[in-house]
Amino acid sequence: MTRTQQQAIRLVIAVIAVAVVVQFFAWYFPTHYGPTDTRLFASAMYIGVAAMGLNLLTGYNGQVSIGHGAFFGIGAYITALLMDHQYSWFGLNFGHQNFLSTIPTVAVVTFVIGALVGFPALRVKGLYLALVTLGLAVVFPDLATRFVKGTGGTSLVSLTSTELAAPRWFPSQLSAQDQWAYTMAFAFALLGLVAVWVLARSRFGRSLIAVRDHEAAAASVGIDLARTKVTAFALSAMYAGIAGSLSVLVVQNASGDDKLVTFQTSIEFLVAVVIGGTATVVGPLIGGFAVVYIQKWATDAFPNKPIISPATFGIVLIVLMYVLPDGVVGGGRRLRGLAGRTLRARRRRDVNPAPL
Amino acid sequence: MALFFTQLLSGIQDGAVYASLAVALVLIFRTTGILNFAQGEMALYSTYIVWKLTTGGVPVWLAILISIVISFVGGAVIERVVIRPVERASPLVVVIVTIGMFLAINSLTQLQFGSGEHAMPSFYPQHTWRPGGVLVSSDTIALVGVLGVECLLLYFLLQHTKLGLAFRGVASNPESSRLLGVPVGRILMVGWGLAAAVGALAGALVVPTTTGLVPSSMQQILVFAFAAAALGGFDSVLGAVVAGLVVGVADALTTGYIHALHGIDLLVPFGLILLVLLFRPSGLFGSTRVERV
Amino acid sequence: MIDRRASRAIGMRRGVATALVVAVALVGAACGGNRSTAKPSTSSPAVSTAGSGSSASLIDTSNCPPNTDTTGVSGDTITIGTSVAESGTYAPFSAILDGEQAYIDYTNANGGVTVAGKKYKINLVAKDDQYVASQTVNNVNSLLNDNHVFALLDVVGTKNNLAIRNLVNTQCVPDLYAASGATQWGNHQYPWLIGSELVPYPLEVRRFVDYLEQTKPDATIAVLRANDDFGQSYADTLTQMVKGTKLKIVQTQQYDSAGSQVTTQVNSLASTKADVFFLGATLLACPAALTAAQNAGWHPIIYMSGTCVSKVLFSIAGAAANGVFSVTPLLDPAAPVNASNPAMQLYRAQVAKYKPKADLDDGIVGYGWTTGALFVKTLESSPSLTRSAVMETARTLKDVSGVGLEIPAAKWNTSANDWFVGETFQFIKYDANAKHTDPVGSLTNDDGQTAKLTPSELINQ
Repeated sequence: MTRTQQQAIRLVIAVIAVAVVVQFFAWYFPTHYGPTDTRLFASAMYIGVAAMGLNLLTGYNGQVSIGHGAFFGIGAYITALLMDHQYSWFGLNFGHQNFLSTIPTVAVVTFVIGALVGFPALRVKGLYLALVTLGLAVVFPDLATRFVKGTGGTSLVSLTSTELAAPRWFPSQLSAQDQWAYTMAFAFALLGLVAVWVLARSRFGRSLIAVRDHEAAAASVGIDLARTKVTAFALSAMYAGIAGSLSVLVVQNASGDDKLVTFQTSIEFLVAVVIGGTATVVGPLIGGFAVVYIQKWATDAFPNKPIISPATFGIVLIVLMYVLPDGVVGGGRRLRGLAGRTLRARRRRDVNPAPL
Repeated sequence: MALFFTQLLSGIQDGAVYASLAVALVLIFRTTGILNFAQGEMALYSTYIVWKLTTGGVPVWLAILISIVISFVGGAVIERVVIRPVERASPLVVVIVTIGMFLAINSLTQLQFGSGEHAMPSFYPQHTWRPGGVLVSSDTIALVGVLGVECLLLYFLLQHTKLGLAFRGVASNPESSRLLGVPVGRILMVGWGLAAAVGALAGALVVPTTTGLVPSSMQQILVFAFAAAALGGFDSVLGAVVAGLVVGVADALTTGYIHALHGIDLLVPFGLILLVLLFRPSGLFGSTRVERV
Repeated sequence: MIDRRASRAIGMRRGVATALVVAVALVGAACGGNRSTAKPSTSSPAVSTAGSGSSASLIDTSNCPPNTDTTGVSGDTITIGTSVAESGTYAPFSAILDGEQAYIDYTNANGGVTVAGKKYKINLVAKDDQYVASQTVNNVNSLLNDNHVFALLDVVGTKNNLAIRNLVNTQCVPDLYAASGATQWGNHQYPWLIGSELVPYPLEVRRFVDYLEQTKPDATIAVLRANDDFGQSYADTLTQMVKGTKLKIVQTQQYDSAGSQVTTQVNSLASTKADVFFLGATLLACPAALTAAQNAGWHPIIYMSGTCVSKVLFSIAGAAANGVFSVTPLLDPAAPVNASNPAMQLYRAQVAKYKPKADLDDGIVGYGWTTGALFVKTLESSPSLTRSAVMETARTLKDVSGVGLEIPAAKWNTSANDWFVGETFQFIKYDANAKHTDPVGSLTNDDGQTAKLTPSELINQ
């Protein structure tokens, strides 16, 4: 058997395996598991989406942000407000939209805001950038509290069951509200994953890494530093915004007006990126699952003492960092390397991001 | 006019609060080069120790001293046991570990001391003077005073003692320091212990002025302390103090005078920080890193 | 040399391996699936004799999901759920749970609650939401889908209840006695949500405004409010109530509800030298504001939100809380004059027995106890043990008195036009030396007044 034939067979097996997995999650899971499970899974997926975006910025491009909870909140509010309210601006009437039609608006708005944030980020680096983004996470909730007029006159926008329900063209076996939320989250997670995969292998992906590892060298070979870094910010913001939109279907409301929650969400994204494996394609998605399911396990393990669950989660995080400092995917790679496979392929050097 | 000075002093008091914790953050950064998310919660635990001792009848000043000693030991132990294993890993990994510590220490504090709110005594008498209509409270004087003394001591320690020299050596080049015989591990432990002790003092002073000890007492302060440390430059203790005061005053004056920003007055201190960092990317007093090509 | 094909193969292998690992892990973790297509069937409750299916009922069940009216009742157990902040900044509110659980344990120990001739035990499932509205939604979904609760009791927070009101209305689940004095609970579009015996904010404010009109009709008022919806409700209501009087609001300041830094704001308010200081604040911000006012040398007439009436908060404020006005719908457990009241004695004995760590002097525990008692009373008065019947009963309370620590002379009523329970309350003043509150004037009976006093825009939000 020639090398090409071997590879072809492996390719076919890979495609079949992936198809089976996708089919399982796209169909079997939502039709056989109850709403609590589907919602939990959906939340893991949208956290994963945001983490994939943050990974583009932090893992591949080395810019640390602990403020992406703000973009998440912006996405959530835009979707919720467009679905629930009616607006009339400058003669244009819009509002009471269905979920999918809000996504383009969310994508554009968060992309633009992300780019705007990316510009000052050109000057500010490392730890200082992290703290400026923290400012974002802290100021956004105040802005939301002041300017959003949602349900009951508060800054919470709660959606009705009709608004949250699946559209008529959706297959009826998956048309329960939780199944609809699940399917949307799954679809966007897949889309986001494919997009990251393409980006990572593209010239843009390589310039992200080049800029992260050695700015001066990257500039000297003609990479436009500003464009790369700002685009990274914009893309990561867009991912976080879409994740926010998905969260509206799952938690049935948008409420980005709590500082501690926005901060916590931002941290969750970062934790998901690191646990999953920085600068890997699928790592952050796995990280999303880790973050959600470990927290759930921690809460369920001690039902009578809710105080213990954050401690449990914290300790698990610490232990994970000892055992798998390169993340689940990164660590897996290292384990496989230890198993002694020798290939003359160049080992990827994107395992340790640049220092903060 | 009297109101302006009153607000100014109130801002200075708030600023001293942020600066106290920011100094601890800077100390950690200077020795181990990372941002310790758990600094506030470590200080919280120390503050609960003070509270618990005072409810047992121990005089406040003694309780604070005991807490400082316990915290020093605790900080050193944390460095050795929790941080040391991941020291060589990427800084992001260490950040996640400190985040884990943040969650764990907050929970464990609540488990041990309960989640309710408690009155917190201070070791100086509470009094407010009103010279010419300007409110001067003993809290402001105590906070600023202690902060000043602390800074002097730290300055002396870092610039004029062998220990200080060792800190600087370890922070800039641990390998060379090790080759020169500097006990790097022990220095790191001392660094963390010192930061924890500073945090304990900060907590014990600050919490009585917020009228009440609750498990979330340190969380809002932490955000401002981060901001102050960034504004001042992460490796400058003086920077942390000056920046803390600036942030405190900026916030107080915005809240007091710019009514259009009511509810979103955080915009001003953070906007200020962004502006400063745009022009001085390493903060007001931070040392600029030279990148060799 | 870069071996492109090999690296692509590695990449694909990596992806497949990871995907398989994920799949196996998840499948292994949750084997089989648990989606139920049929609603859980429960044993039918005792037959009711009166009132069921009457066409004049307030609750329209025509759009409710079928076969859910007796969910949560199985055998002789009624399962109910609640979502409250058990950890985080608002953890002090979890004292409500202590009082509630104690009452339920006490009821169960005495044979349980009798509904339509049959005795039932009550099982309360509590979930922590840290006062975050999204988590409340998750908790309630879980309570409904996993625990199959009959009803919700005493869910804490205005936003938290707003976040679930669509849900409970669509699924026809009683959200009983929500812990919030907000006016939105009067919105007739949401019949499955009813507020608790907390005094609705407009009545609180009006009582204080009446007091001012009697004692200082041309007073100037300085307001400190939280920067969230809670503070907004108070500010809006106060503005509404002083219309047409000679009272004037001279300055309003907001503080960040995530913390309790109020000194700058209070200093600014103090400089106006206003006659009155109105506090739309809660938790630690209350004693902080009182202390700041005292330090500023400002001694106005002070009114504090009813949610701040707690022994601990008062003691933190110390002397600065002396003379502060507020309201309460219940007896103050810390006041010695109430010690001989048999309802108070029962409360103290039973809470000490079932929740020994709870602070008996804390009004919040007393509130939880009373809400538990109100729930049991509602069940007992209900013609049958179905969700719609119980909800209807809660909406048609008639002269309910003697429940928990309810003020002895008070009577609670609800009806088609009166959707608020806690409209009878006592105006009180705190005595810092004696360390308890004293009643001021007689009992205020504002039964049915909330809807009349509040502009409909504030109710129908």
